[in-house]
Amino acid sequence: MFAATHSVALVGIEARPVRVEAHVGGGEKGRLNVVGLPDTAVREAKDRVMAAMAVSKYRFPARSVTVNLSPADLPKSGSAYDLPMAMAILAAAGLIPRAACEVVALGELALDGTVRPARGGLASAITAAELGLPCLLSPEGAAEAGIATSTDIRVVRSLVEAISVALGETSGGTALPTLDDEPSAPDLAHVRGQPLGRRALEIAAAGGHHLLMSGPPGSGKTMLARCLPGLLPPLNESQALEVAQVWSAAGRQRPSLSHPPIRAPHHTATGAALIGGGSGVPVPGELSMAHRGVLFLDELGEFPPNLLDALRQPLEEGSGTIGRKGISVKFPAAVQLVAATNPCPCGFYGDHRDPCTCTPRMVERYRRRLSGPLMDRFDMRVRVDRTDPAALVGPPGEPSEAVRERVADARRRQQGRPTINGALSRPELDDLDMTDGASRLIERALQQGRLTGRGFDRVRRVARTIADLAARQTVAEPDVAEALVLRGAA
Amino acid sequence: MSDAWVRLAHVGMHADRLRRLVDDMGSPDDVVRAIVRGTINVPDWARAAAGVSAARRRVQLDEAGIRLLLRQDDDFPARLAELPDTPPFLFQLGRSFTGLAVAIVGTRSCTSYGRRLAEAYGAAVSEAGWSVVSGLARGIDGAAHRGSLGGPAPGVAVLGSGIDIWYPAEHAQLGRSILEAGGLVWSESPPGTPPVGWRFPPRNRIISGIAHVVVVVEAGVKGGALITARAALEQGREVCATPGDVGRRSSVGCNLLIRDGAIPVHEAEDLVESLSLILGQPTTSTHRPAQAEVETREPCPIGEFLQRLDAEPSKAMAELGRLEAHGEVTIHNGMVFATLGTGQAFVPTVGGAPEERKG
Repeated sequence: MFAATHSVALVGIEARPVRVEAHVGGGEKGRLNVVGLPDTAVREAKDRVMAAMAVSKYRFPARSVTVNLSPADLPKSGSAYDLPMAMAILAAAGLIPRAACEVVALGELALDGTVRPARGGLASAITAAELGLPCLLSPEGAAEAGIATSTDIRVVRSLVEAISVALGETSGGTALPTLDDEPSAPDLAHVRGQPLGRRALEIAAAGGHHLLMSGPPGSGKTMLARCLPGLLPPLNESQALEVAQVWSAAGRQRPSLSHPPIRAPHHTATGAALIGGGSGVPVPGELSMAHRGVLFLDELGEFPPNLLDALRQPLEEGSGTIGRKGISVKFPAAVQLVAATNPCPCGFYGDHRDPCTCTPRMVERYRRRLSGPLMDRFDMRVRVDRTDPAALVGPPGEPSEAVRERVADARRRQQGRPTINGALSRPELDDLDMTDGASRLIERALQQGRLTGRGFDRVRRVARTIADLAARQTVAEPDVAEALVLRGAA
Repeated sequence: MSDAWVRLAHVGMHADRLRRLVDDMGSPDDVVRAIVRGTINVPDWARAAAGVSAARRRVQLDEAGIRLLLRQDDDFPARLAELPDTPPFLFQLGRSFTGLAVAIVGTRSCTSYGRRLAEAYGAAVSEAGWSVVSGLARGIDGAAHRGSLGGPAPGVAVLGSGIDIWYPAEHAQLGRSILEAGGLVWSESPPGTPPVGWRFPPRNRIISGIAHVVVVVEAGVKGGALITARAALEQGREVCATPGDVGRRSSVGCNLLIRDGAIPVHEAEDLVESLSLILGQPTTSTHRPAQAEVETREPCPIGEFLQRLDAEPSKAMAELGRLEAHGEVTIHNGMVFATLGTGQAFVPTVGGAPEERKG
């Protein structure tokens, strides 16, 4: 006797439909065999399934049971197949009607028969909509999948409830837990002083420029970086869906759907954690979880150089590809990079209060660690000094709200262009509208040997954004002059 | 006689050994002959060098623009000629030395504090009309030279390597700037001599010898700066030192010098005051340059610099950008440096047309 239900396998952030087939036939008593490239977690499913059935008052068939996960050549991993396997086996054994199998189900079974969340809830909801089937998910899975509004999502808490929901006997909870849609980013109003850092942050937000901040410990670099998501325009529906899909594939739930995410991996993170990977089917890394948001690398100089080098290509292309045997996975990675670093090993080079105890050679060597191809990606490299204590008791700074409005205006002005300013390429920059004064100043800087070819592009990109913030159609001389300082050392 | 000295100058022998040989054998001609004949033990290349005729050497030096000063000549610096261990000859690039000199020396592995101080000292001493003498080394030496470049008095760099070998290599531009600013470079070693360790202590006696006062900015318990200070005391030169924290490695040498009677000096103005007690009033008027010039001559954190330019950050940055585009300042690692060698004061104004500025 045979029955089949549906589930999904994650390939990167995308879901491939998987048919969970069960055959109950003669042979050994109480034997469960799983085929179709299962990993250890899938193979262990049989013990969970047997226990969950037992407590749910279903008797495990007293015959040999074979479960096939089709297509058989696609690797399956994780505990998500517990629920569909149990349903298919019960239907194949004739213990429940076959109609119960006409669903996409995803969930791990606890030994007491309750349904636990599994990675990829959102992806399976999308697949279910494509197949025209209802999607059975744990309450947590339903919460993250709620953004896929076209799918008939049913919340199931246990194996028994899943079967009755699948048969239409009960509706299952469809009410989704409300998501906290309050901005989670700290407000810029809490940042006192820091005129240079604030200005750079606003420009970075307005043009999507990668930003590097350098300054002594305690100068507020991290605080500034954490404020950036609160300055960016909210994600539109399709962007929010993309981001939610990545997070779902990583087994994480987004705290808020419409706010751009920020991820701040520690410098001890491995390549797999940062870029994505892992054994078996690759899972997204921090880089992809920051998709459409901000990737913040604190203590940039402490990151291993090979790791930083691995970031370069995904940054350029907006996505990363990870190859594994027989499978190649593409993760989105359209991130805005913000990095912070100390200016020297002791951190106080150039500080006006504590003297730096490093020798010039140490400072130079530290600086040189930060050179290399990734550094070219930073359109702006600014110095962030410690706030003057007098400013700490002064009035609060401008709130994020006000800055966000200016940023939104500037972003609107960029809509007619091929990309946002931060991604303008050299040919596009050559077509930039500039006043004579602006061109003269750039030429002057080039003649003085103050500007390299790459610096030239960076200055033009940033100048374009400064002009957008000032609502100027044409890039003017003050825009270029300011961009020259913001580009930092060549 | 002078022909023999020209030939000996190219052997590259330690000055003490050469002096002993000349004393023992009676005349420099005898020493040249002994070297060529092989009765004195020198490396093969040195023997070959001694074999080249003086006339040929003079042509070579002429072509390279190098002057060879011999002790018996009139243009040999008098202060060096009167030393007991006077160098018998000096290779020279640049114009002849005149005036009064102050040596500013210190450790190569200095702190940023020491570097800023040395640069300020160099600027103040040169501004007062006294030449800054140092060894063009990394750290304090280089900073002192760099600071002196803007002032009216020409600098003097005394090398341990051959006069055509800039050591360290990253100071080649600094060395050339000293020459361009009207300064000079000396070396006892023949052109082409690599920087080997034993050549540096003897050159320190030239630094202290030509100077009237030796200022030690930062020095460890051992090292070239203290050798220079010791040589200065033997030669009867005054020694000044900048005090530092007790126990701080880069200041131990200075603190010991002060304990032993060196004059402690603090800010650059204080140094000039102490120096004027020894050297007389500064030869150039110590006018106070425009405030902006003083402020930018010392490296300044970018945040402070911007605050002085304008209250509004975007305007201040635009103004700083104009200054940079016109080559008036350099921004490096979050610090604003006034550009060397322009010597031009500028008054920061916001919104002025950049074309009106002096480049």
